[in-house]
Amino acid sequence: MDMVIILQMILASIGGAVLYTLIGIAPGTDETAVLAPVTIALVLVGVSPYVILAFFISAIVAKKLTDSIPVAIAGIPGGVMAAPMVEHAMVLKSHGLPDVSIKKMSSGSVIGTIVSIPVSFLIANLILPYADTISEYAGLIFFFGAVFLALMTTNKILSLAIIVPFALLIQGLRHLYWGLEIVPPDVTVFVSFFLGITIGPIAFTLFELLNKEYRKNMPGLGNKEIKLKSSEKAKGIPNPFQILTKKESASSAFGSFIGSITFFLSPVGMTVFLGEFLTRHVKDPVQRASRAISTMDGLTNASYISGTLIPLIAIGLPLSPMAIGPAAGLFNAPPVYTPEHNIHHLLSMGEIMTATIIGAVIALVITFNITIKYSSQICAFVFKYIPHEALIGLFAGLVVMLAYMDAGWINIFGTILVALVSGLLHKNGVNYGVLFMILYAAPWLLGVLS
Amino acid sequence: MNDENKNYVDIWGDNVKIKDLGISMLLCIAFALGGFILAPGEAPQPLITGLVGGVIGFIISSIIIKPKRNITKMEGDE
Repeated sequence: MDMVIILQMILASIGGAVLYTLIGIAPGTDETAVLAPVTIALVLVGVSPYVILAFFISAIVAKKLTDSIPVAIAGIPGGVMAAPMVEHAMVLKSHGLPDVSIKKMSSGSVIGTIVSIPVSFLIANLILPYADTISEYAGLIFFFGAVFLALMTTNKILSLAIIVPFALLIQGLRHLYWGLEIVPPDVTVFVSFFLGITIGPIAFTLFELLNKEYRKNMPGLGNKEIKLKSSEKAKGIPNPFQILTKKESASSAFGSFIGSITFFLSPVGMTVFLGEFLTRHVKDPVQRASRAISTMDGLTNASYISGTLIPLIAIGLPLSPMAIGPAAGLFNAPPVYTPEHNIHHLLSMGEIMTATIIGAVIALVITFNITIKYSSQICAFVFKYIPHEALIGLFAGLVVMLAYMDAGWINIFGTILVALVSGLLHKNGVNYGVLFMILYAAPWLLGVLS
Repeated sequence: MNDENKNYVDIWGDNVKIKDLGISMLLCIAFALGGFILAPGEAPQPLITGLVGGVIGFIISSIIIKPKRNITKMEGDE
């Protein structure tokens, strides 16, 4: 690693932090949908792995810090992961304390980041001796991962039942492309199918809207009413440990620790479960809410970082909900990265650590300061000037372009097909994790079945 | 609020107007795919022009489309 690379890592981290501070605030933005396409695109453009990792870590930390801001200010989650916090943030908001919730949540995030990085390296070291065995059975593990995640969803039977059919859809399209000689036999289409699953729910809704009958029955909505509360200006450099009480720091750190250990489980599920469990005994509603949001924010941040880092350092295969979702680009973005040749293989543990720390520190310094000081101004800017249509349009544009890049015109329709099926399944209680696991397990599964 | 403004739908956690969404998707897809296909150089040149195209589409959409949100500012004294 020389100075030029380090400088590039710093610049990429600054870029990631600023970009995802804004995206984090935009309501409803799903982590996978906003992070994976950009990371994959950067990988495919040929950006150095050091720079990509620093960018990604900075982006995820910044996104996690800011997606709780709209929760506190307007009661709208800025991302899927912020949804469990809405209830508690609304308690604080109803007591007229939205700026308190922003500060507590951001400080929880900082603690989550600080706890999870060393814990992740520790756990990764513990797993490392078994890494070769684990990767040998990757196909089987992904299959069991799909079964395991299926059992955790709201619609268990459907989730289990679609494992083989969905694998057939994926492999069927791949073999069709090979048969039509659209892609060379040694190339496996991955990125566009992955993005197809990601945009599934939106794509499905859009197609439903093409149905006149359906449209007629939709409730006509007016402008979304958003009440912004201007927060008081903080002076000086904010210190998370002063913002949180000792008890809040402790439960946030403990939650982050548990969140890091359970990196292979669903982060949303863990957040809801542990966040409630650790704060149930607190009687005073305001204290309870502020304890809950600081703990939950720390925990989500920690499970995101550990879910990325542990598989990346120890195994090189995306074996966590985080790694198969938002962080997928670090593991698999063919032809540049494949499961046999990705950031795990390219970077040593020390290099991964350096990139992580650069990314995390820059995101924390920039975003934490900005969020504490200017949260309501940024919120007002995003709500006022960034139309939701443009965000959806941008992601549609990226997906269509990457689909065309993967396998030409026909694959744009192939990706729409994957998106529609995924969207339908998602709507019926099959979550992303199951579908992503099937995407990885498909070649092995059909190899076994045929 | 007049009737014309009552036909928004909720997609992905926020209210959108279907016509505006169509315009924005068309712009972003056209610029991204156009940039990718018309790029002169070797890989990764097409991808870069495609990404830039997508961002241009995003910026144009942000300028011509108004967000469907009513923002009320409250002071911190309630």
